[in-house]
Amino acid sequence: MPRLADKRLGPMIFWSIAIAVTAIACAALFYAAAGRTVNAPAGEIADENQLFRETLAAIEADEQSGKLDAEQALAARAELAREVLRSQRTSSTNVSKPLTRTPLVAGLVAVAALTFGAYTFLGRPELPAQPLASRPEVAAQTLDLGGAVTRIEARLAETPEDLRGWQVIAPAYIELGRFADAAEAYRRIIELTGPTAELRTDLAEALLLQAAGDGSEEAMDLLRAAAAGDAAHIRSRLYLAAEYMRLENYEQAGTYWQQAIDLAKGDEAWLPAARQGLLVAKNGGAEIPVAEDQSELIMRMVGGLADRLYSDGGTIEEWTQLVRSYLVLGDQESAQQAYDAAVEAFPAAFDRGDLDGLALGAGLTLNGD
Amino acid sequence: MSIELGHFALVLAFAISVVSAVGGLTLWRRGERLSAVLGQAAVLQFVLVALAFLAVVHAFVVSDFSLALAANHSHSLKPLIFKISGVWGNHEGSMLLWVLILVLFGALVAAFGRSLPSDLSNLVLGTQSLLTAAFSGFTLFTSNPFVRLSPAPLEGGDLNPVLQDIGLAIHPPLLYAGYVGFSICFSFAIAALVSGRIDQAWARWVRPWTMLSWTFLTLGIAMGSYWAYYELGWGGWWFWDPVENASFMPWLAGTALLHSALVMEKRNALKIWTIFLAIITFSLSLLGTFLVRSGILTSVHTFASDPTRGLVILTILALLIGGAFLLFAIRSPALRQGGLFAPISREGALILNNLFLATAVGAVLVGTLYPLLLDALTGTTISVGAPFFNFTFGALMAPLLLVLPFGPLLAWKRADLVAAGQRLMGFAALAIFLAILISALAGNSISLVPIGLLLGFWVSFGAVAEVIERSRLGRIPLAESLRRLAGLSRSIWSTAIGHLGLGLTVLGIVSVSAWETELVTTLNPGESAELAGSNIAFDSFEQSEGANYLADAGRFTVTAPDGGTAELVAERRTYVASGMPTTEAAIQTYGLSQLYLQLGEPLDDTHVVRVWHKPYILLIWLGTLVMAVAGVLSLTDRRIRLGAPQSRQKLSLGATR
Repeated sequence: MPRLADKRLGPMIFWSIAIAVTAIACAALFYAAAGRTVNAPAGEIADENQLFRETLAAIEADEQSGKLDAEQALAARAELAREVLRSQRTSSTNVSKPLTRTPLVAGLVAVAALTFGAYTFLGRPELPAQPLASRPEVAAQTLDLGGAVTRIEARLAETPEDLRGWQVIAPAYIELGRFADAAEAYRRIIELTGPTAELRTDLAEALLLQAAGDGSEEAMDLLRAAAAGDAAHIRSRLYLAAEYMRLENYEQAGTYWQQAIDLAKGDEAWLPAARQGLLVAKNGGAEIPVAEDQSELIMRMVGGLADRLYSDGGTIEEWTQLVRSYLVLGDQESAQQAYDAAVEAFPAAFDRGDLDGLALGAGLTLNGD
Repeated sequence: MSIELGHFALVLAFAISVVSAVGGLTLWRRGERLSAVLGQAAVLQFVLVALAFLAVVHAFVVSDFSLALAANHSHSLKPLIFKISGVWGNHEGSMLLWVLILVLFGALVAAFGRSLPSDLSNLVLGTQSLLTAAFSGFTLFTSNPFVRLSPAPLEGGDLNPVLQDIGLAIHPPLLYAGYVGFSICFSFAIAALVSGRIDQAWARWVRPWTMLSWTFLTLGIAMGSYWAYYELGWGGWWFWDPVENASFMPWLAGTALLHSALVMEKRNALKIWTIFLAIITFSLSLLGTFLVRSGILTSVHTFASDPTRGLVILTILALLIGGAFLLFAIRSPALRQGGLFAPISREGALILNNLFLATAVGAVLVGTLYPLLLDALTGTTISVGAPFFNFTFGALMAPLLLVLPFGPLLAWKRADLVAAGQRLMGFAALAIFLAILISALAGNSISLVPIGLLLGFWVSFGAVAEVIERSRLGRIPLAESLRRLAGLSRSIWSTAIGHLGLGLTVLGIVSVSAWETELVTTLNPGESAELAGSNIAFDSFEQSEGANYLADAGRFTVTAPDGGTAELVAERRTYVASGMPTTEAAIQTYGLSQLYLQLGEPLDDTHVVRVWHKPYILLIWLGTLVMAVAGVLSLTDRRIRLGAPQSRQKLSLGATR
């Protein structure tokens, strides 16, 4: 499990570096004190008169180059002499006693204690850095899905044990229509983590998609196992119900529809479709294709929103939602209409940031021309 | 892990600064060995804070949104330069930059300060560490740039669009280098007060730091002004906005400090005043940085206003500034006053300069803080606007500019004003002539315009006067004059160039204020308008898409009076992530003048277009650049230049001759 190892190793490596850095800093401070002891007294005395000597040299140079005449130079020298005398009178380089080892070591201990105390209080040593480019969820989301998949595949070829990689690549395969590969990926995940209802359903889904409507015995076995293994698993039951509908086994289908409806909280998107399915199953298969029914439902909802917005107006978020819904349904014309109406309601471009972005992305004509 | 290591480095730097501050300020008599430790500590603080800063920059560059700062202020689609500059386009990051520059200056003192007497060095580094401890502590405990998010969001909230500009990469670092540089002067002042050691060596140390900080601050303010001019879309270059004033006050005080430190270095006079100014200047710098942050003021510069934060920062300021003045009150009577001089002398002129500058600081301070205090105490809101500042500030600057050219021509200790006046006579006549001529040609009657022009020309010519005087141009063979010019010390050149820059800026200000013309009109594509002899034709209106924004763009063709044409594009952008609009004005430069064109809000069937013609506006910023060049020139001159006193006999001789 490389991920798990990472999680444990990360903080260990971090603390090792942190301790090393602190130790180096303290050592640098400690040896700085030691390094200066030898020639310190000489330096101290040299400082006192250095500036006076330099000043005198500057006066002489200025006099020679003609910037000062003799009289000015004399006055300047006299001032300098007075300054030197005054400085000698007051000068008492007040070094009481050189720094001893005790305060130095105490200081260094304080540095270390303060650092580790404050960092433990403030820091998150267990959190790794997460640059965007190397985040798997982003890799799967980027538009260039194919490229990302190729990259992950290359990585998986080297580290076939990388569970995270498989978890990312499996849905990506589905997205790309590579159902056989997706099924393989899910098998791999099940091998690595052991089967769960969710994973069995995922695998079954991949197999059913691969069969393109012809059904699959293995998928049915997996779904049944998932439903049997987890009494609260809804998705497997929905698939089973739909498959049994296709096989015209309405009794079984009705059972699974009922179980799924019983498990629902009440606000799920699939619930109307399931109720419809249950009715059909009870009727012994009066054909109403489920997919068509759903899109009709969406149409009705969108119609309701549109009615309200066009007659009573609404927030810019609602308008954006309406435009987005039309785009999802592929109704470019209504989307454009709704966009234009929204622009009328919100003429300031400032208010429409999201909407304009959406419209631009979908190729609608923006306002103004 | 890089982020957490950066965090750790900042904490370690904080711990080292706390211990150095305590050690440096309590054990400062312990000699060379302590200086070595403190010097090493200063260098370490810099290295560690630099690592912390790099960690944040890296997180921004790779869009690591597990760093809350990056998640809140960056965006993966932002161009690289704005990802980097976005690091300090927010409160936490700009605090980190502030601390980085603070420790950089500390490390520079440690590196160049090896020849300082150990007690002075210990106190300076101790005080510097105290500042680092206060501000890195404030950063870590109230505005930590290293706060993490888990789980990390997939996209960031983007930077304020107004700040997505090259200006953000330049303006804050320069300004901060200016503000923070004055901390060195502050630390030296504290060291002088504590140790009682205040001599020419002290001034020789302080002056280059003042010069360096002043140069950075000059550039930073000029850059900020130019940025506001082209980005905010109002065409104004100075608004007397509290935030601008907050940066202008340390500049005025720093200018005064520069001149008084000069007197101190050359003549060993004005010591206590110089120390006082050093404390004032840094206090105003702190005020400048943090008045903006405390949430008291609202502007582009207010990032996150959080009352707790404001309270903490005000407490820190009160302790630092109050402590410094308390120390000053207790210790300054014990310091030895400097040398004596006659009222009419170079020293006297510089005191006059300080007097005017200090009063100007007072005026700006009152104008900025009075409305805030009034609001806080009585709840009455008043607005002290540009008219107040223009009048008070103008009234204070006019006499200063009038006497400025005399200063460099006066001798140290005692001088002959009449002789200086005689030497300036020709230049004064020329300035008066030009001012009257130009005003007459432009059709201005007796008003502030000719007076402003007169002052601008007078200061510019007066600056050149000293150089011409010293080279005896026209009075001796030309080759000899040139040889003398080349032989002039860089400090003389730097004085002349600095004053010339000021004159240029004054001329630019007068010219724009007097002759700016403005046109607000509605135009449709295909129509055109006239302003200041230029024809502005609205060619087309279109919508385009940038990396992270949508733009309404108007294309214009401007035909100048001389027939030359230019293609201008003015935009109104909407940034997608934040939905915020910005105005991108189109600016066309003609010599030193500019045409400034802004596309306004679209009306039903037409567009509002605003156009300004700004004659000689570039002189304003050119002047500041010239001033900065003077600062750099002065920094390169590290030879000791003693101001030789004028003897009494010679002065009387000169007067009778």
